[in-house]
Amino acid sequence: MSSPALGSARRPWLLLAPTLAVIGILLLWPMVRVVVLSFQDFGLRELVRGGAEIVGLQNYRDILTDERLWRVALPNTVVFALVCVVLTVAVGTLVALLLHRLSPGWRTLVMMAVMAAWAIPAVTGTYVWVYLFDARAGFLTGVLGQLGLVDVATQNLFTERGWFYAIATLNVVHHGFPFVAVTVLAGLVTIPSELPEAAMIDGANAWQRFRHITVPMLKPVFAIVTILSTIWDFKVFTQIYLMPGGDGSNREVLNLGTWSYITAMSQNQFGLGAAIAVLLTILLLAITAVYLRTLFKEEEL
Amino acid sequence: MKRTTRLLALATATTLTLTACGGGGEDTGSGDDGSGEAMDATGETLSVWIMEGTNPDATPFFEEVSTAFEEETGATLDIQFIPWASAHDQFVNSIAGGTGPDVAEVGTTWTPEFGDAGALMDLGPQIEESGLGDAYVSSVLESGTYDGAVYGAPWYAGVRSIIYRADLFEENGIEPPTTWDELAEVGDALKEADPDLIPFPIPNSTFTTTPFIWGAGGEIAVQEGDTWTSGLDSPESVEGLAYLESLVEEHELSTPAASTWNEADTRDAFARGEAGMIISGSWTPKSIVEANADLEGKLGVVPIPGPDGGMSPSFAGGSHLSVFETAENQDLAWTFVEMMTTGEYAEMWGEQTGFFPATDDLLTRLEEAEDPLVAPFALQMKDGSATLPVTPLWGQVEGAQTIPAMMESILGGGADAQEAATTAADEMNEIFGS
Repeated sequence: MSSPALGSARRPWLLLAPTLAVIGILLLWPMVRVVVLSFQDFGLRELVRGGAEIVGLQNYRDILTDERLWRVALPNTVVFALVCVVLTVAVGTLVALLLHRLSPGWRTLVMMAVMAAWAIPAVTGTYVWVYLFDARAGFLTGVLGQLGLVDVATQNLFTERGWFYAIATLNVVHHGFPFVAVTVLAGLVTIPSELPEAAMIDGANAWQRFRHITVPMLKPVFAIVTILSTIWDFKVFTQIYLMPGGDGSNREVLNLGTWSYITAMSQNQFGLGAAIAVLLTILLLAITAVYLRTLFKEEEL
Repeated sequence: MKRTTRLLALATATTLTLTACGGGGEDTGSGDDGSGEAMDATGETLSVWIMEGTNPDATPFFEEVSTAFEEETGATLDIQFIPWASAHDQFVNSIAGGTGPDVAEVGTTWTPEFGDAGALMDLGPQIEESGLGDAYVSSVLESGTYDGAVYGAPWYAGVRSIIYRADLFEENGIEPPTTWDELAEVGDALKEADPDLIPFPIPNSTFTTTPFIWGAGGEIAVQEGDTWTSGLDSPESVEGLAYLESLVEEHELSTPAASTWNEADTRDAFARGEAGMIISGSWTPKSIVEANADLEGKLGVVPIPGPDGGMSPSFAGGSHLSVFETAENQDLAWTFVEMMTTGEYAEMWGEQTGFFPATDDLLTRLEEAEDPLVAPFALQMKDGSATLPVTPLWGQVEGAQTIPAMMESILGGGADAQEAATTAADEMNEIFGS
């Protein structure tokens, strides 16, 4: 009409402006700040008095040559995240399949139980698990002792890296599977019932139907839940930090998140802490990119 | 206990981070010539951070202080209680965001760090003007002094000794230990008398570890000129750590769970009647009895024994009251600090908390009292106490949890004392830059 190309080119930006401003302030600015920090020698003194020195890549060099990164923080982060993602998606999918087969009444009941696990805040959930595995009075420690897996008289599970992360895995999977279950269930509902019926007539068993119908149909859903779980499980902080020894007194159980926080906030080496955070982000982006590529390789995106 | 405190800490820390947007205050009227008496600050508010848990009846105490303060100055007090466990992080967060209080209770080992960073005001001139330079206990004043500036006014101090179950000792004919060998023997005897009892839990706490390092003649760190060097890996320190390790591994006087306990967890276990002896502060008998009234009259206190008699020095901790640089009315802040650290309220605080007031005349009065739950602590304070290195870098060593990490690898990780001490010393030296 009256206002031609110019107006219509500007209008989308005008409409986007408020959103972009909010994202810019809340998301981009802190990110930029962290990246800038990671190139500075920034301590408490600089925080109060200003004037930080730019040290280039020194922080990154310090971290990449730190034995703690390669022996403790990185393996703890990566192995823990991979195990958690696989377990979360597997348990979530199984629960979704169960929910899909249940009658509406039972489905509501199971759904409520699942939601309860989801609704528990991470902090509360962590304390419950810590309580259950307490070395002296923990119920589950007692059970493990009865089974002969743990020597209750001499062991404190939280001091052992393997057990520590096993407990953390339980905690994180328990907290994370409901999201997967609900999302996958939503996907399952969209599969036209003709497909599995036809397959059944052709003699496909349950596994074959899952493998050749459900999985391909739900590929985008699996992609989403896997990526989100990966992101959550890589940057897990609360659940580790709040466990005994997780706040830095047990060096064997540091992961990238807690290491970054402790370095920055407890030791006031904000530059170094920021560099760890940046590395964690890069690692996360790399893994997500590789995963997306392999997932959609065959299909033209 | 620990759980709720941490939870609260986390919540508070989050809130602080989220609201960290206020601007720094301006100095107003710091050049006036009036004395504190004529202070009129009607309508102003002084925000104060106090550590939680020092005084079990903190609320009525501060209500009284608030009333008196308002009468004197017209200003109202806004007191917030901060849990110790998260206090250091919270200070850092608030300094970062310019959301700090006007006055805060600062742990003596943190004062040089925050002072050096420029967050705290030099109280030297005010202390001199009020003639308080000689009134404060000198060691506590020194721990707040760095580079000639006084960043914290001594408020209270405390020391740790061994609190034991006098009733169990009496029943089994056990005498309180006076040497390290006796300490182990007493533990063995308690274990024999009641196998369910934890004779002497060793938590993962700097304050439980350091007496044994000092007792054996070791040092945490030594200063030469301007640089500090860790003394954790010296033969003496390692001997002390090895002794501590032997209490756990050979004599089995502790419990595996204790390797992830802090002081408060240990105290809780003792209050539940699960432990025979613990290393605990002069301020704790009261709260132990308060937590479990059955223990009334059943407690005993003995200084931490030295290897062959005498005492193992124990950490003399305490708190300063510091004024933040961002305080809007620094004179008002100092009026509050002076009121709290001297005279009536300092004495009342000491009585209610079991801490020693940090002025000489008040301390002398306590030494002369012969309360069996106070006198041994006073003795330890006078003749068997030591302080941690007074350097701004010490806060970083604490933040890095160097000593807890060392204890964790000894108690939980199965490393031997020498190995763990060497690792810890290297880490400490890296922070000291030596």
